[in-house]
Amino acid sequence: MSLTEAEHIFGGIHEDGLNDFLRAILTTRPHYLNYGSPGFVPATTVAATQMPTIPFPGVPGGIDWAVHLDIPVIDLHPKTLSLPPELSLGPGQVSVRTTVQLCFDCRRKPIKDEKPKNDREEPPRGEAKGPCFKVEVFAIGHLERTYSLDGDALVVVVDDVELVDIEPNELESVIECLLLQILRAVLADIRLPLRALRVDAFTLTLTRGPEVEDDQVKVYGNV
Amino acid sequence: MSEITIAIDENAADKVFDTAIGLIPTQSASGSGSLGPFVASYSASASFAPGDVDLIAPGTIRISDFILNWNLSFSFGIDLSDILPDFCIPQVCIDIPCVGEVCTPEICIDWPTVSIPVSFGDFLKATADFGIAITQTGGNWKVEALVLGVPSLQFGATTAALLAAIGMAITPVLLAVPFIGPFLAIVVNAILIGIGIAGITGFLGPILTPFVSGMRIEIYKQPVNFQVLSAAGPTDPAVFITLDAVNAFITSDTEDELVLTVDIS
Repeated sequence: MSLTEAEHIFGGIHEDGLNDFLRAILTTRPHYLNYGSPGFVPATTVAATQMPTIPFPGVPGGIDWAVHLDIPVIDLHPKTLSLPPELSLGPGQVSVRTTVQLCFDCRRKPIKDEKPKNDREEPPRGEAKGPCFKVEVFAIGHLERTYSLDGDALVVVVDDVELVDIEPNELESVIECLLLQILRAVLADIRLPLRALRVDAFTLTLTRGPEVEDDQVKVYGNV
Repeated sequence: MSEITIAIDENAADKVFDTAIGLIPTQSASGSGSLGPFVASYSASASFAPGDVDLIAPGTIRISDFILNWNLSFSFGIDLSDILPDFCIPQVCIDIPCVGEVCTPEICIDWPTVSIPVSFGDFLKATADFGIAITQTGGNWKVEALVLGVPSLQFGATTAALLAAIGMAITPVLLAVPFIGPFLAIVVNAILIGIGIAGITGFLGPILTPFVSGMRIEIYKQPVNFQVLSAAGPTDPAVFITLDAVNAFITSDTEDELVLTVDIS
């Protein structure tokens, strides 16, 4: 069978190549992987994205928190990387594997009407510390066509998340719910332009795809 | 398996090569060559128009009936003494009463050397096989189609047309030569017979063949340090990957395809 099949141009990006692109983007722009309130992230930089604290009545300045993700590894159908038994990688699907670290600042803050010890209500910016915990996250998703400044692009959409060895199950469900939203949001921001994925070889007007099979993302079109 | 695979079928290759051939700038050359018994100095320019692409596994791209548009300006010198014998109008004396004998001077015609400038343009169709060359120079990966061997160019009716153009160019030059009138047709015919079809072919071949045999058609060119994303603000610098290896070949499964593979890191 020819590569172009019924179309005139074919582009195939192997999962190794897709992971190289992800690594390049996230190594250059690690702020996509690091988020935190001012106690952890004093300012938005290339390295991290500053977010507001979690407001809570009686906690002056809110609760400081931080999330760090390792660079996700993508596996395209058929399965190459192992998955927990709760997940299976079906035709057309992608799996995502990463480690997420969640941190909260638990230094005692003065409560309402209590005089601050050092006239400050918030921990010094960037000086918040744990506790933190790391959890390995497995996800199943699919690829969608989207648009970027560079034209047609691909984005990974996470459909389901699974954690391993967290008890009780209700806690696991809560954290999975949280991480599903985080992972969906993080990956939705990372748009892989088709122009770059085919390393600017020829011009392609997309007519079919993206399709996931043979460990590749396949796109078809006309010149 | 390569990390990135791009393939185009013959239909797409036809369009890709149409564009690539259209981007080849006009070529020029100058020099001197034999035009029959004469030596002509010339300046030539040539441009290309696309043909039909046939992909032949594992590494040949045949482009049929592409067009070479060419323009040629040349001039050659003719020593008319080589064609016409020098002659003298003898002295004539007449005896005039009351005046005496009056003689005309002897007039000898020494035929000059004349320069004939000719400008001519035409096109020819050619078919050539191209191989695939992959190079990494100056920080760029380049995939090009290079002509294999030296294609034979068929000039056809061009030769007769150029011969006629030479004849047209000779006439006004010769008309400026004193006393040439009665010999004009003889001289023009002698020059054209001297050059002949073989002379035209022998003149055009070495000038125009290098334009075709030196054809390089760029298929792919990208920097080794390839930009994935452009900078989008102070926290979003440009993103690059490295193109570690580039390969190109032709496959022939259910259809012929030009395949480009790239490994990155």
